Amino acid sequence: MKALSIVLKKELLEILRDRRTLMVIGIAALATPLIMLVISQLATKTATQTYTVGYSGEVPAGLDVLLTATGLKLEHVDDPATAARQQVDIGVVFQPGQIDEYYDPTRQGAQIADVRLQTVLGRYEAAKVEAALRDRGIDPGVLHPLPVKVHPLSSPVKAAGNAFLSFFLPYILISMVLTGGLSAALDSSAGERERKTLESLLLTPAPRSRILLGKILAVSAISLVAALAAIGSMLLALTQIALPGSDTASSHISLSPLAAGVMVWLAILMAGTFSSLSIALGTLAKNFRQGQAYATPLYFITIFPASIIVFIPDFNPNLAYYLIPILNAVLVLRDAIVHNSVAWPALGVTSASLVATGMICWFAALRLFSREALLVKS
Amino acid sequence: MSPAAVTVDRLEKTLGKNKVLRGISLEANAGEIFGLLGPNGAGKTTTLRVICTLLAPEAGSVKVLGFDTRINPEEVRRRVGVVTADIGVYSRLSARENISYFARLSGVPDRDLKPRVDAVIDRFGMASFANQRADSLSSGQKQKVAIGRAIVHDPEVLMFDEPTSNLDVLASREIREFMVESRGRGRCVIFSTHVLHDAERLCDRVTILHEGSVVATGPTAEVRGAHRDLEDAFLELVL
Repeated sequence: MKALSIVLKKELLEILRDRRTLMVIGIAALATPLIMLVISQLATKTATQTYTVGYSGEVPAGLDVLLTATGLKLEHVDDPATAARQQVDIGVVFQPGQIDEYYDPTRQGAQIADVRLQTVLGRYEAAKVEAALRDRGIDPGVLHPLPVKVHPLSSPVKAAGNAFLSFFLPYILISMVLTGGLSAALDSSAGERERKTLESLLLTPAPRSRILLGKILAVSAISLVAALAAIGSMLLALTQIALPGSDTASSHISLSPLAAGVMVWLAILMAGTFSSLSIALGTLAKNFRQGQAYATPLYFITIFPASIIVFIPDFNPNLAYYLIPILNAVLVLRDAIVHNSVAWPALGVTSASLVATGMICWFAALRLFSREALLVKS
Repeated sequence: MSPAAVTVDRLEKTLGKNKVLRGISLEANAGEIFGLLGPNGAGKTTTLRVICTLLAPEAGSVKVLGFDTRINPEEVRRRVGVVTADIGVYSRLSARENISYFARLSGVPDRDLKPRVDAVIDRFGMASFANQRADSLSSGQKQKVAIGRAIVHDPEVLMFDEPTSNLDVLASREIREFMVESRGRGRCVIFSTHVLHDAERLCDRVTILHEGSVVATGPTAEVRGAHRDLEDAFLELVL
């Protein structure tokens, strides 16, 4: 095992002196909080922004006050239908006994203004109906024969935070575990061939399996550091950023200790798998650039599983789905974040699947690393 | 007579679709410089690569100091040092770190590491740039590092594969001197080259390869025979 430790130390030393790898880790640690900040600012801006309603006709009494309170500014225009195309966010024609609304659904501002207008009009209508019933001596309660009282089992703000984390955290974790060590992996495989040090290395009595394992461990360590730096800085940033709609401390997003533990465990397993895979691909390449071309498809692995959480938030698969590498990590992490619980059978299957995938990648890398073609010039 | 340090017996090797070695046999002894000569593509580098276990023999056998390359490849590599024309070094490590890394991997004990590395640095005059990162070294300095890492474990068999092809006159002379010095220390030195002038001056015995076969072998003077020099003998054999 001495050879393994010698290779590991040397690879780590080289990686720490490599600007490319350090830059990836630095950018990951800095860029993630910045992205969070921008998203938060945009969300806050959207929530507090005032939208313009271009109208004609006579505004019903009291409705103007409600509209202004909801962030809808009234502006008189000659033709609301034409104005709603560009000049204002939505157009409204107030007629006796009827309201015509014009809006372009392809414009995000128009969509938000429409939702707000419908909400305000609904409340206005309900208030008018209740007032008319009272005038006639009828209890407005007849309109609600089955009143519903909602009892949320957890804070809706917290739930929104969890939903946010359940997408971003797996995505950042997977992408950083892959990209954080990719440059180092290609440098220690394709780079060895490119700078013609591979032959000298293979001439030493150190077994090739130990040399390869030393390289994989070094790349795994860097991948893990990159992923944890990115996630750590993201969580740190989130403690400073409140969710829109609330300014209390509880509205800040945080990760439970259980979810954090699951995340670190999955990061370790994925780091080993990705490192073996990227070194295997790098071993196939004759130089660093060719290695990058071979590794490019790996980026798709990071985006597809995380996308499932976005498009199917309530995706509750059976245990067999947890055999699919990477997707299983996303699902386990989602459950740990959203429900703050771990289904141990699912985690067991996921761990076994990732370990098996890592072993397959390791054997593939070793086979490629041991072939004669590695040294024979084409 | 003591057994040969390196014994190659009816060695065959195919790379891709090319039969590169067609039954080569040779013996190189301790305390001699053995020349492996031939034009480009004759099979010199492939022969050396099989001897040092980078490639496996397809047929025939290779023994280094009694160890079969198929059965004990790690024991063979422990006893062999190879210097090639490639001067690839780890650019983010210093000259000293490069040499130390290979010393450790070659099994130099920790207690001997520093004295051994220092001795190599002194031998090749690397003290002035030993702690400089390799990416700032000149080609000649990198070549010295490449030699240093190949011999730092003090191997009993030294193989030089076209070692002077990228070097200036001074650096080439230093390598030649080192080969002679190694022979004096009882090492088996195998020198693969197409520079016949160097071979004639240095080698005790030579083997000439052509298209994967041995076309002549024996003491240098014997192979030269009645010809004016080794080059004339070589041309007559391969043309």
